[in-house]
Amino acid sequence: MKKVLSILLLFIVVISVTACNGSDDNMSLSDSNKLTIMGKKSDLAKSYMTSIFNQYKKSTGISLEIIAIEDSEYETEAQKRFNRGDIPDIFMHFHNSDLNDFDIEGNFYYLNNESWVDDLTSGAFLYCLDSDGNLLGLPFWESSVSGCYYNKTILDSLGLKPATTQAEFDALCQVLKEIGYTPICWPGNGCSWMIQFGLDPIFADNPSVLEKINKNEITYSDIPQVKSMVQWISDAADNGWFGSNYSEIGWSDISSVMGSGNAVMVFIWDTWFYTDFEQGNKYSVDDFALMPVFMNTVDGGTYEGGNLNMMMVNKNSDNLEKALDFLSFCASEENYNIAFDGISTASCFKGQTTNIQSQMVIDASGSIAEYERVSTASTMIFGYSADEVAEIFRKMFYKEISVSECVQLMDEYRIKEAKSQGIAGF
Amino acid sequence: MKNWVIKLLLSSSMCVVGVAAVLIGIFYFKFISERIYEDSTLHLKEIYSQVNHSFGAFVERNWGLLDSWGDHLSLADNNENKEIYDFIEKEQEYWGFSEFYFLSSNKTCITYDGSEANIDLENVWNSFSNEDAPIMAGAKLSTGHEVTVFAVPVKNGRYKNFNFDAIAISYTNADLASSLDVNAFEGEAKCFVIDKDGNVLLSTQKGGSIFNNYLVYLSAVSDLSNEKIEQMKNDWISENSGLLQCNIGGVSYCILYQSIGYQDYIMLSIVPQSAVSAGFLSVQKATSNVLIMIFLLVGVAVITFVIVRSYAQSRKNKMELQYRELMFDVLSNNVDDIFIMLDHINQRVDYISPNIERLLGISAQKARNDIRVMEKCAVNHNVVIPKTELESIPFDGNKYWECEYMHQSTGERRWYRMTVYHMNIQDVPKYIIVLSDRTQEQQMNQKLQEALTAAKSANEAKSNFLSNMSHDIRTPMNAIVGFLTLLERDAERPDKVREYIRKITASSHHLLSLINDVLDMNKIESGKTSLNLETFSLPELLDELNIILMPQVKAKNHKFRINVQGTPPEQIVGDKLRLNQILINLLSNAIKYTPNGGNIDFNICELPSSAQQYVKLRFVVSDNGIGISKEFQSHIFAPFSREVSSVTNKIQGTGLGMAITKNLVDLMGGIISVESQSGKGSTFTVELSFALPEKKESESWFHDKISRMLVADDEEDICLDIKKLMGDIGIDVSFVKNGTDAVEAALKAHQNGEDFDIILLDWKMPGMNGIEAARMIRENLGTDIPILMMTYLDWSSIETEAEIAGINSFISKPFFVSTFLQTIKPLFSDKVEYEEHKESNVKGVMEGRTFLVAEDNEINAEIITEMLSIEGAKCEVAVNGQEALEMFKKSKQGYYDMILMDVQMPIMNGYEATRQIRVCDHPQAKTIPIAAMTANTFAEDVRDAMEAGMNGHLAKPIDMNAVRKLIGELLS
Repeated sequence: MKKVLSILLLFIVVISVTACNGSDDNMSLSDSNKLTIMGKKSDLAKSYMTSIFNQYKKSTGISLEIIAIEDSEYETEAQKRFNRGDIPDIFMHFHNSDLNDFDIEGNFYYLNNESWVDDLTSGAFLYCLDSDGNLLGLPFWESSVSGCYYNKTILDSLGLKPATTQAEFDALCQVLKEIGYTPICWPGNGCSWMIQFGLDPIFADNPSVLEKINKNEITYSDIPQVKSMVQWISDAADNGWFGSNYSEIGWSDISSVMGSGNAVMVFIWDTWFYTDFEQGNKYSVDDFALMPVFMNTVDGGTYEGGNLNMMMVNKNSDNLEKALDFLSFCASEENYNIAFDGISTASCFKGQTTNIQSQMVIDASGSIAEYERVSTASTMIFGYSADEVAEIFRKMFYKEISVSECVQLMDEYRIKEAKSQGIAGF
Repeated sequence: MKNWVIKLLLSSSMCVVGVAAVLIGIFYFKFISERIYEDSTLHLKEIYSQVNHSFGAFVERNWGLLDSWGDHLSLADNNENKEIYDFIEKEQEYWGFSEFYFLSSNKTCITYDGSEANIDLENVWNSFSNEDAPIMAGAKLSTGHEVTVFAVPVKNGRYKNFNFDAIAISYTNADLASSLDVNAFEGEAKCFVIDKDGNVLLSTQKGGSIFNNYLVYLSAVSDLSNEKIEQMKNDWISENSGLLQCNIGGVSYCILYQSIGYQDYIMLSIVPQSAVSAGFLSVQKATSNVLIMIFLLVGVAVITFVIVRSYAQSRKNKMELQYRELMFDVLSNNVDDIFIMLDHINQRVDYISPNIERLLGISAQKARNDIRVMEKCAVNHNVVIPKTELESIPFDGNKYWECEYMHQSTGERRWYRMTVYHMNIQDVPKYIIVLSDRTQEQQMNQKLQEALTAAKSANEAKSNFLSNMSHDIRTPMNAIVGFLTLLERDAERPDKVREYIRKITASSHHLLSLINDVLDMNKIESGKTSLNLETFSLPELLDELNIILMPQVKAKNHKFRINVQGTPPEQIVGDKLRLNQILINLLSNAIKYTPNGGNIDFNICELPSSAQQYVKLRFVVSDNGIGISKEFQSHIFAPFSREVSSVTNKIQGTGLGMAITKNLVDLMGGIISVESQSGKGSTFTVELSFALPEKKESESWFHDKISRMLVADDEEDICLDIKKLMGDIGIDVSFVKNGTDAVEAALKAHQNGEDFDIILLDWKMPGMNGIEAARMIRENLGTDIPILMMTYLDWSSIETEAEIAGINSFISKPFFVSTFLQTIKPLFSDKVEYEEHKESNVKGVMEGRTFLVAEDNEINAEIITEMLSIEGAKCEVAVNGQEALEMFKKSKQGYYDMILMDVQMPIMNGYEATRQIRVCDHPQAKTIPIAAMTANTFAEDVRDAMEAGMNGHLAKPIDMNAVRKLIGELLS
């Protein structure tokens, strides 16, 4: 009797579990009045995301199934779902090297011909392109612009103006140094984002170079611009353009250095001025303006666009049309302006008006449109480690290694890291 | 004129000349600098006037082009667009402008391809204040790059349906700036085109235009005052040119500005002052350098001349001084007088002759530092030169004292007369002290005194000697004469006769010993004694000493022990006879002056030697006898010295033994010392060095016969010595410390099939003694293994018992390899020969023999004849050597058995006779034994006899025992 009861109980449990799992699949794949959207839990909780979801549901009556996965498990969990064919209608992901694991060509719909494409800002548009020029997703995210933020009040008081070329930038640094200013605040202690600004144009402008280095067919040492960048940084340090104690300046010191006017320029992003730049110093955010970063890799300088979360469409979904309509809904000027109303961010859409943009970025918008690159080095190069690069440069600043050895060490670490990640070709 | 006046004049003149030269130099440089500045600024102005002119021409050309194109374009209509496009494209390619614009008065603008121009033309529009005038203005492209636009108004123009009111061409500022750049001034010149507010239109700044407003820049970073800035601005407004100097970042610059002549533009040039004057400065520098070089050369020449002259003079003076000092030093070094110069005030030494070191052992430097160091040398007076005495000497006066000093190193004493002179030297009061040597004089006096004393002493010594000799000779002579008298009286009483003869014999021997010692002493002291160096065996020497002394030791029931510490070499080179004499003297004294049953120890040890081929040995003879008083120890080695005490008075002695011993030790380069305490004993220590003979390899015998040996001795040091000595040869030595262990070790070795090749047993050991151990070994192992007994003691008392127990032979301690070898060789020979130590029956040997006796003294001849007759032999006497030679030559072969030859004989002495006999043709010439029979008894005499061809030596007076022994040896 007991045996019969046990079997019966087990049967009930199995049926229950199967039913639970099956309901999820059925909802995402077969329910014609629903769209499934998968993303990181924290990303989906952003106010502009919930706003656009609510607008959509209210406007169309189509319900959205939000699959929110814990941030720390996102890559592995999403990978599992894709592997078993459990792919949502809308998949949210940043454009970085991890995206390659999701069979882009096999799973996602290219959005090149969508009506809203022309409304994208150039930076956002470029960010969403793959190496073949296919638009992978709709960038619907807050953003920032990284570049060379300079103290325009100081420059104006000296009758100087921002540089437009590498040569002008070098001349500007030299003149500032000669009259007693520290031209650039270079936080040499543990900070490394400046390096990736210099590297971005090398790889963003030459996708084949990125591809070769990621296949381990070439190294940094084979790329002349990398060495010229490292050489420039070394020379700038030796020329005194970073001041005297730059290798001891860390993240927390940048605010006081720039606020006091001890340094005139810094390579950073606009939102830093609203999150980390302390008030009460001699200079405030209104004293600063933006010009490109010059690190001897491209003559006209470069800006680095923000990392954007893209909404990508499952090309194999039964709800493909609905999903594309959803993206169009999001890319509607009226809708995104409602969603981003009052959000401090750089614009992804040309028609964005309700978001709060920094005046520095607005003033430099022409130049940004010309010279902005997507963040490439830190996101696209396999094995790239900002922390390790910072350490290697610190050794160079202390004259423990030469420029060539610095490049060599960057390669050694990158290859070692790529090997440890089991990346093909390494 | 006095020297100092000349010097003053010379110095003043040189100062005046120097100051004048400096002032002229300053004036010259100031003048030149001003001229250079004027010339260089003129040069600067000229250059930038040309640049300005050239730029103006460029502007005019562009405006001219635009004017000519404007007329054409204003007439064009839409149909001609293609033609216009091509035309502009062609012109652009030719003239190198970056873009062509059509401008409308509504502030719109298109390029010549019809597209909207992406350029901010605000400045351009603002510049069109006069509608008919062409303009030049800066503009910014949407990328931020700056261009310069040249525009002219055009009436009613239309292009691609665009109504335009002006046309313009633009040049990138980088291209345009090159037309302002100049190669002069080492590339450090910068040129700007600015408006009257200071806004920069064009710039030749290296790298590009980074200046927005140069007036602001200058105000901010230069040291220009507000007044100067204001003045400059006013100049710009009124289109005046100007030249300023300023400092930016620590660098001096020249700023030149001048109106371009169009609109309000000003050309401003800024050049580092060093670059402006670089060319002139190089000339100035070269000129200055030449002048400086000339000044320097002249200066150096003058200084060199002065220095050389001064040096030459100084050198001459110095040389003269050195010569004088050298001569004085040589002089003072070769005399024994010391010269000192003292300061009158503080008595500091100004000079002291260097010979003080040689004469008194004080370095001149030390004496110079402090004259009081001489007090150390002073004998019998503490203060070298009494200060009060010095001060009492009148100026130009002198005073003297007699002093005695002792050399600090050698202790040599010297006598001086110290004369102190008080005088002025170069107006400075000084004391000159002359220490005149009186040592020779003093020594001569002393020698005379000593000679007198010595003469007295010699006389006294002679008296003492004669007195001593008289006493010492008369004493035994008295006994001899006395007993002879008694003998005559008691001739009929045999017992008395024998007693008197014994006493006469003893006194005779003592007298003979006294004579021998006196003669020996005399010979040593007169330096006639030489050492006869030969290689001899130390063990043999010790063995002989043991044999010689043993009867005396036994007679007094002493314990006599020879102890060799360590392993001194066995073969040494030295005068064995003299060493023997030294040691016998010391040991005999120890035996004599130690009461019966005493302990006599004779220790020999090796001392560290400074040379490898030499060995230094220490011989220590110690006893527990009567000892020597402290007083006597001080002159124990003096001749005829004998301690007078109740004990010593009973012991016969000449008082010459220790003197002879001391002299022999001195002769051998050694030292002798004595430590003694009355009643407790004495210790005499002699240290002598001996050469080592070349080593002889006698080890092969040991290797052939022996590989392992067992030693049993309760004294571990002895065992270890034997182990080391034999180990050096390659023999494996095992040792045990008692008889029981010895037996056990021998049996165990036998059981293992590894019998010892030889066993050495000490006689007296704790528990089982050596004899018992030997017996046990023989009982168990048979007689194959040789067993030797070692002992310090005379083994005669146990010889029989030991032989019965199985002891093969005896060996005395200390252990010597050579003695050991000598002892065991017979035991290992195929035919074992036991040496029988039996006294030969000399009498039997002499019986029936015929002796040829050469003796010139009739009595002596008679005595020897009678003595030999008593032994059953007959003799024939020759009265000199010649006769002896003849008698021998005439004799038949075998007639004479031996020749006894006196040495000192008339006609032919014994040595010559022997030499003749040895070379004559008699069949026995080479073989007949010849013995010297002579009163010449020294070692040299024995050696001379042997060298002459004799076989033995008998000393007179004839001792029949010695005669018997020698004849027995030679005839057996």
